[in-house]
Amino acid sequence: MAEFSAEVFQNEFLSEGATDVHAIVTVTARGAGQAGAATSGGGVAEIIMVDTSGSMSGRNMESAKYAAQVAVDQILDGTWFAIVGGSHVAQRAFPYPNARVAMVQMEPAAREEAKRAIAMMSPSGGTAMSTWLQLAAQLFDTVPQAAQRHAILLTDGKNESEPRENLSQVVRNVTGKFQCDARGVGSRWQVDELREISTALLGTVDLIADPSEIAADFSSLIQKSMSRGVASADLRVWAPQGAQVLFVRQVAPTVEDLTTRRAVVNPLTGSYPTGSWGDESRDYHVAVRVASKPVGSEQLAARVQLAVNGEVVSSGLVKAKWSDDGSLTTRINPEVAHYTGQAELASAIQEGLAAKAAGDEATATVKLGRAVQLAAETGNDEATSRLRKVVEIESEEQGTVRLKRNTDKLDEMALDTASTKTTRVKR
Amino acid sequence: MSAQESASGLLAPCATCGEVPAPGARFCENCGSAVGPGAEAGDGPPILARPPVPALPPLTLPPPPPDLKPTDPDSGAVPPPPPPPPAARRPCTSCGGAVADDGYCEQCGEKAQVERDHWAERPAPWVAGVCDRGIRHARNEDAMALAASGDPVTAGRFAALVVCDGVSAAPDSDVASLAAARAARDVLASGGPDGATPVTGDVTERIQAWQTLMVTASTTANDAVLVAVGDKAERAEPPSCTFVAAVVDGPLIVAGWVGDSRAYWIPDAGTARQLSVDDSWAHELMAMGTPRHVAENAPQAHAITRWLGPDSTDPAARCAPTVPDTSGWLLVCSDGLWNYCSAADDLAHLVRSTEATTGREPQALATELVRWANAQGGRDNITATLARFEALPAATTSDNLHTDAVTGAEPATRAL
Repeated sequence: MAEFSAEVFQNEFLSEGATDVHAIVTVTARGAGQAGAATSGGGVAEIIMVDTSGSMSGRNMESAKYAAQVAVDQILDGTWFAIVGGSHVAQRAFPYPNARVAMVQMEPAAREEAKRAIAMMSPSGGTAMSTWLQLAAQLFDTVPQAAQRHAILLTDGKNESEPRENLSQVVRNVTGKFQCDARGVGSRWQVDELREISTALLGTVDLIADPSEIAADFSSLIQKSMSRGVASADLRVWAPQGAQVLFVRQVAPTVEDLTTRRAVVNPLTGSYPTGSWGDESRDYHVAVRVASKPVGSEQLAARVQLAVNGEVVSSGLVKAKWSDDGSLTTRINPEVAHYTGQAELASAIQEGLAAKAAGDEATATVKLGRAVQLAAETGNDEATSRLRKVVEIESEEQGTVRLKRNTDKLDEMALDTASTKTTRVKR
Repeated sequence: MSAQESASGLLAPCATCGEVPAPGARFCENCGSAVGPGAEAGDGPPILARPPVPALPPLTLPPPPPDLKPTDPDSGAVPPPPPPPPAARRPCTSCGGAVADDGYCEQCGEKAQVERDHWAERPAPWVAGVCDRGIRHARNEDAMALAASGDPVTAGRFAALVVCDGVSAAPDSDVASLAAARAARDVLASGGPDGATPVTGDVTERIQAWQTLMVTASTTANDAVLVAVGDKAERAEPPSCTFVAAVVDGPLIVAGWVGDSRAYWIPDAGTARQLSVDDSWAHELMAMGTPRHVAENAPQAHAITRWLGPDSTDPAARCAPTVPDTSGWLLVCSDGLWNYCSAADDLAHLVRSTEATTGREPQALATELVRWANAQGGRDNITATLARFEALPAATTSDNLHTDAVTGAEPATRAL
């Protein structure tokens, strides 16, 4: 059985009249085991969605098919699975469309048959990803016994065959039904479309520059999914009566704002879905506004807990102590500062690139300059090197940059997709 | 090594029921309360270190003598008390909500009160006290111990009120104060009508006997501190505390003290008096003619010149007897209360106006006095103990003597 622990990093001392309490809570899981191994009455389901639109013709399609076959090899026996081909409509490729069951459990013969089915996929038509997600949700619905549901979505192009709102609507509809990692191959897909999917469906978004890299990526995604022994967990945040939760944000390994995903546990406690867990640790930034109390008072500002199957498995206490000792109250907690910077870095990159795409060079220069400054301050060397491909850095410290001319579209997309990846605090 | 281990075998009795816990115990065997200050003491870094007291405008004050003990909380560091979760959990004192396993209220987040932080004693319907952490201090280093018997309107009445204020500047003084208060209370109770060696004789003889017993009480309390603090006595700032006690024995009251915790006589009408005389730098300044408000706000005002503890040079209580001829209140308290209301007349006004709303039930009155001090800022631990003193019919004091005639070696009540 997985063991969870929570560690709190904060400066609990508030000056007289101060109200806002910030803390970083690191939640760590150990001994999670293999997917499906420990889940009580659960089971695991996996769906691979491959773009089969006309644009995929040629190397992309062949690489994607090979990657899907490699992925099938990685799916553990006993896992419910299906393969979906997607264009402006979605079609189940395996189990075959005429099969009476929507998903089957993996076993050697099914694995061979699935690979044959994948080999027969061929590109044609447009792209309407909402239909893919909708079909995946329908397929997952047929295996209610599978508590842990994961999908991979691969595309190479823009979601051009439907209004954007269609996609958003379906994303909202299927949120909470399964987790989904989204991958774009090449430079003709839209980062914001895939990010919307992966963010809502508690997955990751990434760029695959060359089709030859798809197989390795799929392989690692499936392995990761298969190593998540905890099907589903929720972050719970309790705040005292009269207090206000300003935000709840995952800050590592990636920045994800969870604030609006709150579900009510009780009037003082909110629950935020975190999906499945393997042996890993994730950091959360919680900010709570409490009523100020007299100097010398102490109170609990938040309980930050992880709950599995509705049971709290680990708890961190965020405290507030009012003091008139300036040497205590002015102390800046390094974890809070680090992740505050990293969250701002992510939005500076995204806003900078959006401004650049819109032709607003002045805003782009300021935002990306700020991003360079924040990446340097927080020691995010990977972000710095990605930024270097898009801007000429004059001064990291000042955050002064010039936009590069004729940048590679792939470099901008790489910077964009990786913008939410954070580095940990160096301790 | 935790503070508890270092004090193993020397734990203070349970603050709730007085049971002496087994070495290593965190909760009382008898009543389940979290046990004693040792259980919550820590050697961690200071969390409420205060900035130095701002300097006052230059005063023409003589330099303080070198053997002062700084007690001002603002000059000392208070180590953090990681509190054990209370065993018998009481509802939140702030909102009445349930207290969670983590020691905080499930509704408002208020830190659950541990017994040592706030408790009340009421040994008889006419005698009660409340001891409270206050607001600013991380732990309660005040302590009290009360004993009483008899009826307030009979000559056989007896009460002993002891208050000790741990020196905040010296860590673990909460251990010292509780040990001292209880040891002194037991000595004084031994002279009561139910004690092993009841004090007898006429008023003059009894005053002499009580003064002797009061000195025994304070020196025994000093010995108890030494036992309770164990090897912490070797520290540069060993745990230490003040001492003030008052005994009601029939028609007479005898007060005794070491340090600046106080005993007051507050008649229902007429002039109130501070029975004790502070062993403090502020008082020495006043004795030299400095006005009270200047002296009590002087930089070292709270430095005491005598105390109980390993480095005490003079633990013998000075005493002041009095034989009131009217009804009123005997108030024995720590500076957490009198800091906000130092002059006897002001304190009398506070007690009388509070009594007007709470009535004569002493625990309600003490609770309200503590609440009032917290409302003033609660800068220090607060202890208020009270005995209701009714003037006895003349017949029962047939051997009465004038107070003035019997104030013994120390004419303390007139020193102010």
